[in-house]
Amino acid sequence: MGTVHARSLDPLPMKGPELGVQADDIEPPEIEQEPKQEVLENKDVVVQRVHIDGLGRTKEDLLTYEIAGVFRAKNLIDVMRKSHEARQKLLRLGIFRKVNVVIDTSRGEDALPNGLDVTFEVTELRRMTGSYNTMVGNNEGSMVLGLKLPNVFGRAEKLTFQFSYGTKETSYGLSFFKPQPGNFERNFSVNVYKVTGQFPWSSLRETDRGVSAEFSFPVWRTSQTLKWEGVWRELSCLARTASFAVRQESGHSLKSSLSHAMVIDTRNSSILPRQGGLLKIHQELAGYSGGDASFLKEDFEIQLNKTLFWDSVLSASLWGGLLLPIGDKPTSIADRFYLGGPTSIRGFSMYSLGPQSEGDYLGGEAYWAGGLHLYTPLPFRPGRGGFGDLFRTHFFLNAGNLCNLNYGEGPQAHLKKLAECIRWSYGLGIVLRLGNIARLELNYCIPMGVQSGDRICDGVQFGAGIRFL
Amino acid sequence: MFVLVIHILNVLHCCVFVCLFLTVTAAEPWPENATLYQPLKEDQILLSDCASSLAVQAYLRMCGLPVQVVCRVNAEYMSPSGKIPFIHVGNQVVSELGPIVQFTKAKGHSLSEALDDVQRAEMKAYMELVNNMLLTAELYIQWCDDATATEISRPRYSSPYSWPLSSILAYQKQWEVRRKMNAIGWGGKTLEQVYEDVSQCCQALSQRLGTQPYFFNKHPTELDALVFGHLFTILTTRLTSAELAERIKSYSNLLSFCRRIEQTYFEDKRLIQSSCSL
Repeated sequence: MGTVHARSLDPLPMKGPELGVQADDIEPPEIEQEPKQEVLENKDVVVQRVHIDGLGRTKEDLLTYEIAGVFRAKNLIDVMRKSHEARQKLLRLGIFRKVNVVIDTSRGEDALPNGLDVTFEVTELRRMTGSYNTMVGNNEGSMVLGLKLPNVFGRAEKLTFQFSYGTKETSYGLSFFKPQPGNFERNFSVNVYKVTGQFPWSSLRETDRGVSAEFSFPVWRTSQTLKWEGVWRELSCLARTASFAVRQESGHSLKSSLSHAMVIDTRNSSILPRQGGLLKIHQELAGYSGGDASFLKEDFEIQLNKTLFWDSVLSASLWGGLLLPIGDKPTSIADRFYLGGPTSIRGFSMYSLGPQSEGDYLGGEAYWAGGLHLYTPLPFRPGRGGFGDLFRTHFFLNAGNLCNLNYGEGPQAHLKKLAECIRWSYGLGIVLRLGNIARLELNYCIPMGVQSGDRICDGVQFGAGIRFL
Repeated sequence: MFVLVIHILNVLHCCVFVCLFLTVTAAEPWPENATLYQPLKEDQILLSDCASSLAVQAYLRMCGLPVQVVCRVNAEYMSPSGKIPFIHVGNQVVSELGPIVQFTKAKGHSLSEALDDVQRAEMKAYMELVNNMLLTAELYIQWCDDATATEISRPRYSSPYSWPLSSILAYQKQWEVRRKMNAIGWGGKTLEQVYEDVSQCCQALSQRLGTQPYFFNKHPTELDALVFGHLFTILTTRLTSAELAERIKSYSNLLSFCRRIEQTYFEDKRLIQSSCSL
């Protein structure tokens, strides 16, 4: 969950979309233009056999679910469409490097005159794949080693191990993922990890060691995730000069939380969408299943996109969240929300607005943030149809607020507090889409409504990230 | 060897900070809201931490510097050196008796000003003796004696946390102390040898004190605060065995020394006694 709270310690994407096999990237199978096609087009056909060639470890029962649709095709066009769908399903399993489809007329003794055989020629991924990356960022360089067993038990189970050795911190994670055969969206995963993060804006260092188990399943058009997480969190000051407010938070705590997330995503692309909307609701209840931290956390994200004239897109987003402590213990700095920076309210420094003590930002218990963007193609559209399409210019208007709530004042007082001293900014810039997972922005920002204690970034600001307001 | 190098680095580190304090804080007077942080008195604090905390409190009282004692579950992790106690004065955070003495000196409060160089060297030697013998013996008994570790130290140390974190932290601490004991050669000692070391240390202190009210005659120094902190805590703390306290009780001048400091500097006796019942 890359939520606004800075504490999403996810430098290692343990799961998430399989990069190589994005549905968008898969080109439809090339259909050779044969003169016979018109003759066959409306003719009824029967798919007699479906072969899958090239299987090694993969269990066949898993694949029968994925290709079942092909048998139901009634004419040639249908066969091709269904085969294409089946091919995409097979690729989505993340266990094949390549899938080719061959459609041929049936041969042999029992061949019907209008019978067809469909053959999927698959190439399995290796039993184990490894990766090696180096990352630089946050005043730290690190080396990331990854090991992946894409098809451990033959039914698209995936075991992933990542180890990151940095100049300052070491992190690792082990994750096991199992989809339900025939229903890839219903899946179960278990993770074990240790992640260390440094948050210079809070002079805080956090080490999380945790176990989590999650179950995802689709309901109607939504994707639901239920998760339990047990984390041992160790907080310490980054420097001797850290403010006393941060020093007071140092030490160990155990969080055991149950969370639920719901996502409806009808956008055509998660980065630079042209149309569609996104609704994300996330709620977390900590403390009932043990641990020292007790709170209820709710947050949501809405995004709407609309294509206007000349390929320009108007995009509006709204985020909000609330953290309610349960019991007399105040909330921990590690659970609170953070706001500001090139990924949320532009024109402010990273997570550098709201409650602070001696220059260390302490986060808030409630926040909201809204953004309005007008994306247009680059002026004069250089590199049109190619490289130039990765870029957009945008004009933006961001606003938001982050504060603590003293419970007991009533909801109206809280709303008033969130409406006071609104931070906002506007400006324009260039956005670069990196694959379908991240984007870079270079903006000229004019921050407004700056409160004392906020750190601003007046003028040019550079941002990179996977989630943007 | 490695440990030694780290130790020297730490000392240098402290020196750098002390120098910094000297320049930064010299002019500022002692504020009213100075605070001393230690773990929870009733359920959490262990003998060694209680002794170190009492030593600092005694020192500050001898200097006439008011400090408010605050108990925090995470005092150990809040401390910049990871040691108990630490004081928060103005916007400065200083931990352990040595650096605190330097810090107060920078603010113009010192108990050892009147001593000559020889006496000062002697005082430092005795302070080292107390730290190397009494403090180490306390740590040994707490964490290396299985009965004490199981019945007192681990349950108390882990009391603020929920399982399984409580067990992890307690065993982690025990392992850390045992490793340190092995590094300084105490790993192979028996409990009896440790008691014998404590006796020898007390004998040396008793001889040095003689019939004087304080170690350097009329006026208390940081050595008196340190000795008081440890002896008083050992005497008033119930452990699995009373042997440790018994060893000290055989030196009558040390007992009256403790009583004297308690009466002179801790008029509100209830406070101090309840603070250290283990």
